[in-house]
Amino acid sequence: MNKSNIHLILLAILGLSLWSCKAKDNFPGLEYAPNMYNSVPYEGLSQITDKSQGMWLSNREDGLGEFFNSNINNDHNMNMREPVTNTVKRTDGGYLPYRIPKDSADYAGRVLVNPTDSTAEVLADGKALFNIYCSACHGPTGNGDGAVGKVFLGVPPYNLGRVKELPEGQIFHTITYGRGRMMSHASQVAVEDRWKIARYVHVLQNQN
Amino acid sequence: MSINVHLRSCIITCASIFFIFLQSNFLQAQDAAAPELNDELVKAGESIFKNNCLVCHSIHDKKVGPALADVTSRRTVDQIKAFITNSQKVIASGDEYFVNLYNEYNKTLMTPFDFSDDELNSVIEYIKSETAKGPAVQEVAAVAGATGQTAGQEGMLSAETITVFLAILLVILLLILVVLFVLVGVLTKYLKQKAQLSDEDQEVVFQKFDIKQYIRSPGFIWIMIFVFTAISLMTVIDGLYSVGIQQGYAPTQPIAFSHKLHAGDFKIDCNYCHTGVRKSKNANIPSVNICMNCHSSITKVTGATEPSKEIQKIYDARVNNTPIEWVRVHNLPDLAYFNHSQHVKVGGIECQTCHGPIEEMEVVRQHSNLTMGWCIDCHRTTAVNTKDNGYYDKLVELHAESSKNPMVVKDIGGLECSKCHY
Repeated sequence: MNKSNIHLILLAILGLSLWSCKAKDNFPGLEYAPNMYNSVPYEGLSQITDKSQGMWLSNREDGLGEFFNSNINNDHNMNMREPVTNTVKRTDGGYLPYRIPKDSADYAGRVLVNPTDSTAEVLADGKALFNIYCSACHGPTGNGDGAVGKVFLGVPPYNLGRVKELPEGQIFHTITYGRGRMMSHASQVAVEDRWKIARYVHVLQNQN
Repeated sequence: MSINVHLRSCIITCASIFFIFLQSNFLQAQDAAAPELNDELVKAGESIFKNNCLVCHSIHDKKVGPALADVTSRRTVDQIKAFITNSQKVIASGDEYFVNLYNEYNKTLMTPFDFSDDELNSVIEYIKSETAKGPAVQEVAAVAGATGQTAGQEGMLSAETITVFLAILLVILLLILVVLFVLVGVLTKYLKQKAQLSDEDQEVVFQKFDIKQYIRSPGFIWIMIFVFTAISLMTVIDGLYSVGIQQGYAPTQPIAFSHKLHAGDFKIDCNYCHTGVRKSKNANIPSVNICMNCHSSITKVTGATEPSKEIQKIYDARVNNTPIEWVRVHNLPDLAYFNHSQHVKVGGIECQTCHGPIEEMEVVRQHSNLTMGWCIDCHRTTAVNTKDNGYYDKLVELHAESSKNPMVVKDIGGLECSKCHY
């Protein structure tokens, strides 16, 4: 009876200690074989900046913790890097860098031609992209009544006044550089996607 | 040097005297003109103003450009007209008032507007009429605040009703217990007073509840041992299964960013900030410039009077060019490969399928357990989104030859080890 009592109590203690290993709030939980969980190569989004992390199982030659995987040669030990200046992205769909300067919006409107075809498919893509990147401020129909637009204030409707007349080239220019209080969306929207959005905005300009 | 300073101060004094003179002059003029506002002109002006000017100007508030209330008292009608038609020219001509304005507003040029003289007059008339009306309560902010509040209240109400309901239930149960005890008491008393009782009945009526004897009985001991062992075993097994699983992990982030506010209340699409989700393996954490798209203007929480300390952290990071070190919530082990674009763009899977109700989370927490079993379960049951995707044509054809069921991920290698582990 006594022996079984001890076993029982040990079982309960084990259970309680394991219970405390569960992930909660700031505690990510216990890991089994953490070497297989953490990335050895540099990773942009899961970089570990603490040099001593994983020291207890480290056999690294530089004497740092096993899990430290930040690039010490970069500012703030960041793994992510900005593109080298004056280089062209290979993944931009074959488009060369946009060279018209920011203050030449009218010129852009006059000379640029939308390279995408005016097909239902492109328009559907444009609408989907518009709903992702634009509608929060400009509203689903371009009336300037998006949930954010109502707080941001002063978002123009597409189908009235000066904005109604904007050519697609100028819309592209505006997405690329921003205008007034609207900031540049070039880092979020690829060149081809900007042209697709311009196609769809053109439809919204002509609605009543 | 000193002559220069003297000259400058002289010019400034002269200019300000001139302005004061102008202002008083025009205030009088305006006061006189106020009752004679032309309704038709005001209406025409309102539509022109709303379509063209409202983007950057408000009558009573500073926005992109200055507040326009009393503008006719600051500048002459001709000066205003000239500025609207070609602001660049006016600034280039060196008009001190406008040059100062231009510098004050971060050298933002006002778009030239090709209005006719009538249109210009109507806009100015509209501004005059709005000036006379005085500042209105900011409706938009109030509305947004109100909706936020009601949403919060709704959530609270449902939780409250449940609590109240439980409390009422508890009180009723306690009352029943009391009533039962009273009944037992009354009945025992009644039976004790009765003389003619059999021995058996007497034993029942006069018995005493001995708690020690009850606890020492073997039946009770065995039941307790069983319950204790069962609970302990359950905790151990449950604990063992939780090793390596981070479900429920909800770390504190460097900025108290609320997905409930941004994705829920303001309905910003997930893709707007997580730009990589349709293009790459990672969904991406937005860079500061994406935050600034809105927070260049939005500096405080709806309804608050003070600028938000949390939003200030974005500005600090921007000015000092320091990274914001967000804490990664979903730490898929390095031994497993996962690609967002494959699932979101090709598969057409909603974010919430794996990440849960993100748009309701103040602090993001890991919703799914991200175990292999969890992946595999989905791969066994989910039909592949093959519509309008030429890549799958041959596979669908081949699959249709051998099976009548829709093609699930499993059928095209979704269970193969090396697809995710390599």
